[in-house]
Parts: sequence; structure tokens; C-alpha cells
Amino acid sequence: MARLIRTEKEVEGKYTEQWVVVEGEDEALDQWPQGPRAVVGTPARRQDGLQRARGEAEYTADLQLPGTLHAAVLRSPYAHARAKVDLTRARATGWVRGAIGPGDCHVLQEEPSFHGAPVAAVAADSLREARAGLELIDVEWEELEPLLDPEEAVKRESFVDDTRHYSRGDVEAAFAEADVVVEGEFRTQVVLHNALETHQAVCRWEGETLEVYISTQFIWGVRDSISSQLGLPPDRVRVVCNYMGGGFGAKNSPGDHTYIAIALASQTGHPVHCALTRREENLAAGNRNATSQRLRAGARSDGTLVALEGEYVNAIGWAGFNGPTYGPIEMLYACENVRTVTYGAKLNLPPNAAFRAPGFVEGTFGLECLLDELAGRLELDPLELRRRNYADKDLVDDRPFSSKNLLECYDRAEPHWARRDEVRARSEGPWQRGVGLASQIWYGGGGPPSYAWVRVGSDTRATVITAMQDIGTGTRTAMAQIAAEELGLPLERVRCELGDSARGPYASISAGSSTTPSMGPAVRAAAADAARQLLEIAAQRFHLEERVLSLRGGQIVSADGGSWPLEEITGLLEDAQILGKGARGPNPAGMRVLTFGIQVAEVAVDVETGEVVVERIAAIHDVGRVINPLGARSQVEGGIIQGIGHTLSEARLVDPVSGKVLTQTLDAYKLPTIADVPEIVTDLLDIPDEHLTNLGSKGLGEPPIVPTAAAIVNAIRDATGAEVHELPVSREAMLRALAEAREREKRGAPAAV
Amino acid sequence: MLELKINGGTYEVDPPVGQTLAETLRGDLGLTGTKVACGEGHCGACTVQLDGVPALSCITLVHTVGEREVTTIEGLRDHPLVDAFVRADALQCGFCTPGQIVSAAALVEAEPELTAERVRHAMAGNLCRCGAYPRIEEAILSWRD
Amino acid sequence: MELRQPSSLAELDGADGLALAGGTDLVPLLRDGLVEAETLVDVRAVVPRGIDGGTIGAGTTLAELEVDPESPQALREACALAASPQLRSMGTIGGNLLQATRCWYWRLKYPCFLHGGSTCHARQGAHREHAIFGNEHCASAHPSDPAAALLSLGTTLRTDRRELPLADLYRLPTEDDRDVTALEPGELILELEVPKPEASTYLKAMDRTRFTFALVGVAAARFGSETKIALAGVAPIPWLLESADDLDRATPLPGTAYKVDLARALVRRALDALA
Repeated sequence: MARLIRTEKEVEGKYTEQWVVVEGEDEALDQWPQGPRAVVGTPARRQDGLQRARGEAEYTADLQLPGTLHAAVLRSPYAHARAKVDLTRARATGWVRGAIGPGDCHVLQEEPSFHGAPVAAVAADSLREARAGLELIDVEWEELEPLLDPEEAVKRESFVDDTRHYSRGDVEAAFAEADVVVEGEFRTQVVLHNALETHQAVCRWEGETLEVYISTQFIWGVRDSISSQLGLPPDRVRVVCNYMGGGFGAKNSPGDHTYIAIALASQTGHPVHCALTRREENLAAGNRNATSQRLRAGARSDGTLVALEGEYVNAIGWAGFNGPTYGPIEMLYACENVRTVTYGAKLNLPPNAAFRAPGFVEGTFGLECLLDELAGRLELDPLELRRRNYADKDLVDDRPFSSKNLLECYDRAEPHWARRDEVRARSEGPWQRGVGLASQIWYGGGGPPSYAWVRVGSDTRATVITAMQDIGTGTRTAMAQIAAEELGLPLERVRCELGDSARGPYASISAGSSTTPSMGPAVRAAAADAARQLLEIAAQRFHLEERVLSLRGGQIVSADGGSWPLEEITGLLEDAQILGKGARGPNPAGMRVLTFGIQVAEVAVDVETGEVVVERIAAIHDVGRVINPLGARSQVEGGIIQGIGHTLSEARLVDPVSGKVLTQTLDAYKLPTIADVPEIVTDLLDIPDEHLTNLGSKGLGEPPIVPTAAAIVNAIRDATGAEVHELPVSREAMLRALAEAREREKRGAPAAV
Repeated sequence: MLELKINGGTYEVDPPVGQTLAETLRGDLGLTGTKVACGEGHCGACTVQLDGVPALSCITLVHTVGEREVTTIEGLRDHPLVDAFVRADALQCGFCTPGQIVSAAALVEAEPELTAERVRHAMAGNLCRCGAYPRIEEAILSWRD
Repeated sequence: MELRQPSSLAELDGADGLALAGGTDLVPLLRDGLVEAETLVDVRAVVPRGIDGGTIGAGTTLAELEVDPESPQALREACALAASPQLRSMGTIGGNLLQATRCWYWRLKYPCFLHGGSTCHARQGAHREHAIFGNEHCASAHPSDPAAALLSLGTTLRTDRRELPLADLYRLPTEDDRDVTALEPGELILELEVPKPEASTYLKAMDRTRFTFALVGVAAARFGSETKIALAGVAPIPWLLESADDLDRATPLPGTAYKVDLARALVRRALDALA
């Protein structure tokens, strides 16, 4: 029976209450026992791997709809300006097929407020002509003074939202009573997503329906945003994303380029493809914002944390979201007295966008580095310090965790941590080696609404149908595994069809480590619904009671030992089909659903040249049940490698005078290469969360990137004594920290005899 | 009019001087397996082989290809590396994968006996933002299995 | 735009146009509008390619030099650490010597000194990758690894018009002439004459392990009792040091002071390696 319920939904730490329709059997199904099963928990090749590897997969970038025009966007060359746009000359040519400026499309700005802000756009038969068309747009620019300094923005109260204050306990009193207090200022840089498929969309009108082919992480979010922006009924917007080339958080909404394509498609009557160039991508498609963090921690001499304090300035840019940089300091440890203040500085710089565990990556860097400095002061083992401050409930809302196996993660980290004497002993000449660790906390529970259908035909094959997207995380495969497991079918007989809002039910966003925990339970419920129908028919056919029958290994199995190939039932169907429906139920009421983990990094530092080489990272994470160990390992490795880029080589640089972005190209903005990758050891606990859905699975996309920077920087300290407080750990940052460490040692050393 | 030798076939195209090989492959010939991710030689997604040597099609002017045989991912669809990549889970979003496989195919042709170090040196020109690198290394080292 | 494809030097003679070989730098520069040309001249059939003892055809690719057992070690190492495998397979050594700076201000068309303007934007701006020598007017850094190696090796160039030491190919930009090479319009590098050292090496500090330009590259080559040192990434042109002590005379910007430390460490290591 369908029920309309009010429930809490969380995406990347933002909680909202919303209505969801729940039906199907999510809550009615018992979780499978812990451990690998026939299909779920067993390594599976990704179902679309061959298409992607052979270059057959059609990405948005590859679409060539008949009559498509190509758009080019005129962007502000200034960080802040007024633009008077004259499209007359462009429109006068025969070959500029469409031209729009401010007033024609809400994303085009008369007062562009960051370098790269869209001001006007044209469409032509080829991209080459469209770019030439931009030259025919006359703009009178009036350059305005940009605000670029986050501290200055705080002074002037230039904020993107209300400053957030949080406190629990009595922080001042606790600091006064602490045996040891450590403090530090930490800084993180702006990093750029750089998915290899840039942001792009092809938009066309089919009668009264707007079709949007888009590289997106959220088909339904795009549909809803466009329908409300354009005042169209939602189902008059069809959103399609069959294959997409990476997002990492930057592709959660339609984006300016989509609205530009829609406006030009409306003006010209043609399909319009608007694709960002790599340079536009690195200007105007979002970024992980810079932060500065003033942190203070107080502890008793036994290591018990008594007070934590953080002041965070998130340098958001002109718009975007003020992410939870404060999250780790408030949530990770059992500390009674915590106070944070978080500013979201509004600047004349490109807007941020969610980037793989936004806020927590930055906040964990500061907190976990400070914790290691505290351990040093207390002469306490850093792993022991973390054990002593283990939180057995959520102190922010005073809720129990739905599950938490962080202590088990710590135990499994021991053998990696125990390598440190041997690692240090391998220091040689200028190469100093050390080991560091950092804990991880993040969301990842997913939630409703999410729906799936499962279709079984006379060929005994099942198809999972849901209008979600596979952004490269392997969700197609995971969903097929879940359905196969429930239907007792071998995986090769189950496929997952997704990617089209017109061809499947509502599905969740692929962000916030929520895809598997949101979609998986709905898919299982749909498969169970189909299985129930199969068994009902089988019961009639074999004159048995339904309850003695089950599906296993492609067979209908009876409790008394009888078994029949499933074909004996599906063979009766001819063209009839079994249709199962499933919905995601609510999250456990009154509980906090989170993911946990720890990483242990080994580094070598050349103390003469400042070169840092990450040699090994062990990653132990508690994310509930693992559906596909093969794909899960890839997610962990990918997160860690992005974390290494964040820690060592990536930085968006801006001209401090003009506010213009300098690192737009991939020679200047340095992503890790295959030669930068260390040995990575992945260890997922694979313990189902008994309170969470019919699967007990949490999300895995983000946890692995959360502790990487802190673990590496703590290993650097272990190796060299240098305290690095800023990212990236460039040559100059490393050499500076080493020089400071030498100075400290000199000052601290006994006076010369 | 240019005559291009691609994947064993011959194609006639008539592009303007200044057009790149990638633009010709994707736009004129519909060979969209070759991806363009940066368009200026900084990422390797557009890698094709010219007479078996990896080259960046996004910065190769199509008029300079001449007699050289162009091999794109469409010409390598049955290469054992394709299966090796899927087996090892050496791809996530897959956008860099055709370029990875084209580079790797030239590598294993030139050096059938590879070490991890050689793979890391020879594949450093193909960026993968998803971070499939450990599995790419595994796939290339085990391509004949 | 027009493309000419001469098949001999004689056919090339007197032709206007911009020489195109591997195209790895020129094609992006053309597409960005940083270089303009009515006519491109594909010189690959004209410029010698291959290695014969100490003579290297300017059309030889970096990939070929990387693995050539006859090349001095410094040159092989510099080629191996340059760019990416694809770029090394495309790019020629002649073109590599002539590549433009990676200075982001220059690449993004700021009206800087090198573009004929009056200021160097890097000086007041973001300049961690910039110069510590010869940076009075322009703080750009020369990106070529092989150029530093060849400079330390005492290479001589043969063009279609003359012979000149590699050291004379480069010149700092001045008020009167913003070019960083002494090549005449239309002049083509044909061959490189590379003396054989007793020992040589190239060391490179960079932001990642491969496929990025040098923060500091140090080439050293020993001939008898004399050792020559040349640096990449430290000046608008490849930079020859008289001795390691020259590093005391560096004029770093605030954000490039670390490069002096880097250079010191790498020079010391290079000299140790050759001792």
C-alpha cells in the first residue's frame, strides 16, 4: 500500500524534511546476512565497461543530433565590471544563427562579478563560426574594483549567507582547565574538479517538450530546476544522460551553459550544443573553495579532549554554498565543549561548487593535523589519542549512530601504523621517511525518494529500470547485482537501464555518497516484488504454498528439496512480463547515519629539495555492506588519488591584482599522473548497518578523499619534524616548513657550550 | 581534398587548413571514440596512433597527417587491452579510456615485456581524473592474460 | 591559412611563412592567436632527422633522443623528463629549442613586456614558476629541459644560413627587441653538433613526477677538468652558470626565492654525480 510520509533527507550534510511516497517492500525485507553472497559482495566487471573502453559509449560530448548548432559564450575578462552588450553586428550576419545577451537569458549578466561570468552567447553551424561570431559582439566594459581578499570580505561583511555560529558546553571554562592547549592556523587552496568531459548540454524542443541531453549527476534535479525556471510542467522537460564523463560534485545542477543552450534553441528552433572548453571549465564551472581555519584544542594530560574551537573562513566566490568545514571538529570526537564560527566570504571570484566531501576534506585537514600536534605535545601515540576520544554517539544532536565501527577501523589500522619504525629506518641521505594517520567522518546514508522497477520477461532476463545516472562510479553494475541477488539470477542475466527521465521513475542524485544507499534499497524492493510475483505463479503452477518457494541460482527452489528451472515459469509468459516496483523507505528515525574510517600514509621527503613522495596509503573505511568489491576498491583509489593531487600539486592561482584566473589549462593546473600514485591498500569493513534500509549499505564515493591530506601531512611531520599548515605542500611550502622546523630546533636546543 | 588512411580504410575529407585531426575524426567522420578533453595537448584523451606512434590528435593539423596510417580506438576495439581494462576495472567514467588504450596498445606493441616503472613512464601523458591509475597499470601489465 | 609542404631546402628558399614541424607548441599558439600566420611551412621533409655521432638532425624527436645510446646522458635524461610520451613522439629537438615560455600572463595575452608592453605582470602578480635570473624586464621562465642540457654540452647549431653556438641563439628581451632568440625571420635550424662529454647529467625539480615543466632543471657536463652547468626554468632563456657560486647572484622575486635553494641543491647533486 502506498503511504505518503514526512521524513528527513540529507545530502552532503544538509538536512531537509520532505514528503515521500513509500510503497513496495523496502522496510519489509530483512537484510541479507553479513558477508559476500552469490552476486552481492562478489567482484563484478562493470556492465558498461566494454562500451566505454571501446569508445562506443555516447557521451553528451559525442551527440550529433541532426541540425545541431554550436554555442560559444562571451565571458567577462574582468573580475568585476559592467557590460553594455550590443548584438547588432553579430545578428546582421547570415551565419550567426542566434545571439543572446543580458535580458535574453537570466544567466547572462550585465554586471559580471567574476572572471568568466557569462555575458552573451551565439550559436552557429560550427563551433569555429560560433567563436568567430563572438568577435562581432560589441561590449562596452566598465571595469569595477574587485573584492578578492576573504579576510577583507569578513571585515566588510560581504557574505554569501548568514554567518554560522555553533557551540556546546562551556568552551572558555574548559580551555582554562585544560592541561595542554594547542592552536594553529591552517589554509587550504582552491582546487578544480576537472572532470575530463567538460560541462555541456544539448537542448532541443520536440513539440512542447524540452529535451535536455546533459552531462549531469542529477537528472531529476536538472528537470526540476529547468521546469521551475522556465515555468514548464516538470514532465515537459525530458532529461537524458546515458553516459557521463565525471562530475565530482560540480554537475549537480543545470548550470549556465544549459540555460544558454535552451535560450538559443528557443531562438533558433534548432538543437543547440553548448560545451565548455577546458579553460571555461576552470573558470566558471565551480571549484572547491579555499579556506582558512584558526583552530584551538585543549586536552587533559591523559589525552582527553576537553575543548575544541574553530573559526572558519570559506572563500566562496561570488556565489555557491558555504560548506560544512566545521563538520569534523563538531562531529568526530567525544568532546563536550565545542565552538565554531563559519563565514562564507563573498568575493569577485568564480563560484564554488560541491567537490567530493565539500567542507569535510578541508576541515579534516586542519583538525587532524592539529590533533597530531597535540599528540606530540602530550607525547601520546596519535592513534591512541584518537581512541581515547572515540565518540559513541552524535554529540551535535545527541543521537545514537545507526552504526559505527570506527574502533574496528582503528584496530585494522594497527599493522599499517606499526610499520613506522621500519619506514623511518629506511630514511637515507636527504630522504626522510615517516608515517601519519588521520580519521574520517562523513555522511553517506542516502535517503528517499528513490524508485526502481524490475522487469522479468519470458527469456528469464531481468532489467532494472530507473532514471538515475552512472557518473562513472559503477552504479549500473551495483544495481544489477542487487536485483540479481534478490531474483536468484546470475548477474549476466540482469541489466540496468538508466539515464532518461522519460524512461524510468524518479531517482536520487549521484552526489553526497548517496547513490547506492538511496537507490540500492529501492532496486532490491522492486526485485523482491518481481520475485514475489514469480513465486505466486510458481505456487499455482506446482500446486505448492508460496512460502516454501524461493529463487536461487536461476532455479525455483522448494523447501522440500525440489527445484525447477525458472524458465518453467517465465516460459509461460510469452509476451507478458512480470513488473516489480520498489521504493526507498525512510532512514532510521532519531539516528545519525554516518561513514567512518582511517587512513595511514607513508611518505618520503627530500629535505634538500622539498620533494614529497607518497609511497603507500592504507585506507580502512566503514561504509556498511559493500555491493561490488571491485568497483568499491576503484572508488577508494580514485578518492585517494584526488586527495594526493589536493595535497601536493593542485592549486588554482589567481592574479592578486586583477582577480583573473591564471591556471585555466592543464599544464598550469597540475592533476596527478599515473607516475604520482603510491601503493594503495584498501580495506572495507563490509559490515551492514543493521538500522539502515534493507541493504545496510552506505555510500563510498567521498569518504576516501576526506582524511588523505591530513594523513600525508602528518606523515611529513613524522618524517621531518616540519609542521605544514597549508595546502598544497608545494616545493616552496615544504622548504619553508623545513626551515621553520630547523629554526625551532635551534631555539629549543641547549645553548652552545 | 585530403585522403586519410584510418584504421585500414581510406577516407576523403576537405577540411580548412588549421583544422585538427581530432576535429576531422569526430566532426567529419563521426569517429567519436577519440575524445577531446583539453584541446591543447595537456591531457592525452585525444591520443591516436600515427604509424603506430602515439600522437595527440587535438594538436595535430589534419593536413600534416599525410601518408601516415591513423589508428583510433575504433581500430583497436578487439585489442586484448580492451578486455584487460574491463577485467581490471581500469576505468570509471571512461572519458580518458580510449586515449589510455590507444597509448597502451602502442606501448605493448613496442615493449611486450613491461615493468610497472616502464608503464608509469610511458603512460604519464594520459590523465585520468577518476584516478583509475592503479588498475590501468594492472591492466597493461596483465594485458595478455 | 595556407600550408606549404616543400620537399627540399631549395624549394623552401625564400618562402615566407612560419615553420611547422611537430607542432606541439606552434599549433596551440596559433589556435590561441598568440602567433599569427598566413602561411605555414611544413618543414619536416626539409629538416634532417636522425642521429649520427655527435650530429643531431633538428627534426629528430625527443622520443628518439630519449632512447638513443649515442646521445649524452644529460640530453637523454632531459628528453625523458620533458613533456609527455605523446609530445615527445611529436616534438622535434629544433622546435623544442624555440618553444615559447609558459608564463601564464604571456599565454593569457596580458599586455606584458614580452608582448611589447611596458610591465611584467608576474612581478606584482603570481609568479612561483618564474625567473630568478635575467628577470629585470621580464620574469618569464624558459621551459625547455633539452635546451639546458644542450647548453651545458656546448652545442653548436647549424641553420640554413650559418653556424652559431647554442648560447648565442638566446638573448634576453630588451626594450628594443622582445624576442628571446637571435634567429632571423625564416631562418631554420637544421642540425645540432653536440660534443661528447666525459660525463653529464640532468636533474629536474617539478610539481609532479612527470609531464610538467621544470621549476628548476639543472644540466651539468664534464669535459676534462671543466664542468659546465646550465639551468632550465630560472630565466627567460636557458641559463648558463659560470660556477655554482653564480647562484649567489640570483635576483629572485619574493615567490621564487625557493628556486635558488632548489637550484643549489640540484647543482650540488649534479656536480657530485659527475665527480
